[in-house]
Amino acid sequence: MRLRTRTHLFFFSITIMLALGGISRTAFAQVPDPGTVGPFAVTREEYDFGDTAFTATNFPGPIELRASIHYPTNLAAGPFPVILFLHGRHATCFTGGGSALLQWPCTSNNSQPIPSYQGYDYVSEVLASNGYVVVSVSANGINAVDNAVFDLGALARAELLQKHLDILKQFNTTGGAPFGTKFVGKFDLTRVGTMGHSRGGEGVVRHYVLNQESGSPYGIKAVFPLAPVDFNRFVVNNAALNVLLPYCDGDVSDLQGVHFYDDARYNVPGDQAPKHYELIMGANHNFFNTIWSPSSPFPGSANDFLAFVQGGHSDEQCGSGKNSQRLTEAQQRATGLAYLSAFFRVYVGGETQFIPILTGDAPPPASAQNTNLFVSYHAPDNPELRLDVNRLLNNTNLTANTLGAAATQTALSPYSLCGGSDPQPPTCLPGQPNARQPHTTPSARSTARGLSQLITGWNNMTGNYRNDIPNALGNVSGFQALQFRVSVNFADARNAAGLAQDFKVVLTDASGSSSSVRVSDVSGALYFPPGSVGPVPKVVLNTVRMPLTAFSGVNLNAVRSVQFVFDERFQGGVLITDVAFASAPR
Amino acid sequence: MKRNLMNRPLAIAIALLPLLVGSFAFAQRNASPTNKELPLREIIKLPGKLLAETKTTGPTGNLKLTGYRVEEVALSPSVSTQVRGQQVNANKAWRVTVTGGPFPVRAMPAVIWIDDQIVGYGIENETLSQITAVTFDDSLIHDGGVVSLSYGEDKAGRTRIAQKLQLKGGNQ
Repeated sequence: MRLRTRTHLFFFSITIMLALGGISRTAFAQVPDPGTVGPFAVTREEYDFGDTAFTATNFPGPIELRASIHYPTNLAAGPFPVILFLHGRHATCFTGGGSALLQWPCTSNNSQPIPSYQGYDYVSEVLASNGYVVVSVSANGINAVDNAVFDLGALARAELLQKHLDILKQFNTTGGAPFGTKFVGKFDLTRVGTMGHSRGGEGVVRHYVLNQESGSPYGIKAVFPLAPVDFNRFVVNNAALNVLLPYCDGDVSDLQGVHFYDDARYNVPGDQAPKHYELIMGANHNFFNTIWSPSSPFPGSANDFLAFVQGGHSDEQCGSGKNSQRLTEAQQRATGLAYLSAFFRVYVGGETQFIPILTGDAPPPASAQNTNLFVSYHAPDNPELRLDVNRLLNNTNLTANTLGAAATQTALSPYSLCGGSDPQPPTCLPGQPNARQPHTTPSARSTARGLSQLITGWNNMTGNYRNDIPNALGNVSGFQALQFRVSVNFADARNAAGLAQDFKVVLTDASGSSSSVRVSDVSGALYFPPGSVGPVPKVVLNTVRMPLTAFSGVNLNAVRSVQFVFDERFQGGVLITDVAFASAPR
Repeated sequence: MKRNLMNRPLAIAIALLPLLVGSFAFAQRNASPTNKELPLREIIKLPGKLLAETKTTGPTGNLKLTGYRVEEVALSPSVSTQVRGQQVNANKAWRVTVTGGPFPVRAMPAVIWIDDQIVGYGIENETLSQITAVTFDDSLIHDGGVVSLSYGEDKAGRTRIAQKLQLKGGNQ
């Protein structure tokens, strides 16, 4: 009974928040939908050079060279940008009796390969119809033995992708079997995007690094890890990054892939590449791949939160009850398709009209079939696009912010940093499982620490967190928004279970004029993290972007402070980082 | 043509050593406590001496665990590796195999534990009925130890096998 009440309260608050968020987003209602079928007719073919055609460095098994290729049937309009897909770890073979196997090649009992690489055809078709060549690579040979190598297959996956790019280069230059000269001059290998799912997600990141180490023979413009693992903590610098995080992931249930975003933010000075992630509240791990989903005819498929999380069926958010917020297979794929398409069409195809979808300034497009998601955005390191107010990276930032001005607090407790490098505590929610605090979850093959965050809270309505702005930097009128990342700390008893939090952000100018905006007026990010079984609830710091136009009556040419005023609720506890003025990429 | 590795244990051991040395050198550059357990497919195929084996009365937990097997594997010549932070020349390894399933093939690796210590990341067999991890730390292999399995280093999510380790000579 109590659970049900909490559930209703939560969904009521989320509904209100989304509705309010929608109000501020109406200005972007004209953003076109990136997930719809485009003008090109599409042809699908495959190439296959055999189950054992490739050998990766120090890798203990043979790997196939097989892929599907979706392309605009009328190639005359080429060359087309190229998108590569790489599936993740899954059973490799199946028998007629319905058993899944882990071997390569498939040799037992007339077993056949499980075609995991075909599981993203629904994305490939839409992208190809909009003028992209999409190649989806089979990696069963890696899956069969990757637990036997130290990096758990990351380098092998990277090398496999590079090999396929070499093959595409041959198709594009001299041609070759099985396509002859059909594709000569039709691929633009200076504009390449990569998407990897699960272990494939780390694979595309590792590939980006490998391509760089090789002198960047291919122009990797955009990297999209989808529900990825991040065992080794490689970082994508200077290329657009988008991580998709399924809240109800039952496999990579600690959402460790958020490290890709967290690690890349301030890693390279002058990094002009934007970084994004989406937290999809009702999504699981497997439904993004049709072959891995329960509707698939192949063995080894699973509804992972239900199959892998003990007691998962009973979770009110991710379980199987009638009030569960889980997406259907079709809804989940629609959401994935929308954001995959938006990302690649912006950063590989230059179709900048979709940027507001990726910054969260525009609502999810209709094709996503889902509005229960949160978009985070980190602007390029460009003084015209981002002014970091407080990165909250070290203890100095508790008293002096990134701009060198004062950072102060009133009536906040605690007021400390967690999750980052020593001497910060390695986690922010002591006693909670790693899976419930993704930003600090340990990595299997790296000792790198997690996201440095301000952990704070208030016990009455006088709580205040203030960052001063130096006079010389007070002209923020050129930026679109004041933004920060935040999560309600579900482990802080001051937050009422199931109820959204709220506070105000106040800008004050040189004349002393102030203007405030409630977080709930622009964002639903202060939801109480839902769920109660296994890896949920969990804290994920979502970006709140407050349009500066909302701060009426304050002189944006001379802002002197940014304050978080905690007077909307009697008490509460939150985690905060990345306070900045920022604009969308150009 | 498929090589029959099972018939050539000595050749495998010789071929394996450079890999092991290289792997452990790499592990030493990384301080993660999990680095020491790097399992290699070949070591699983070396002949071993059975130290303990049990079968449960019925499948246990979501993962339907049915038992475990602990074996000692001789390495000749010895290999240099780290055990509990100390550089040692190991001339033995211990294989812990958990049976049950069929186990799912997941992104997160299977992890085998004894008590609260990680034995290693597991490698599934082809039919997904066994998962095996390797350790060079003999202190993990002791009477009364509780064998369990998780995916990822999820201590709270482990499935335990009720029957505790009972070793057949040595390692008590």
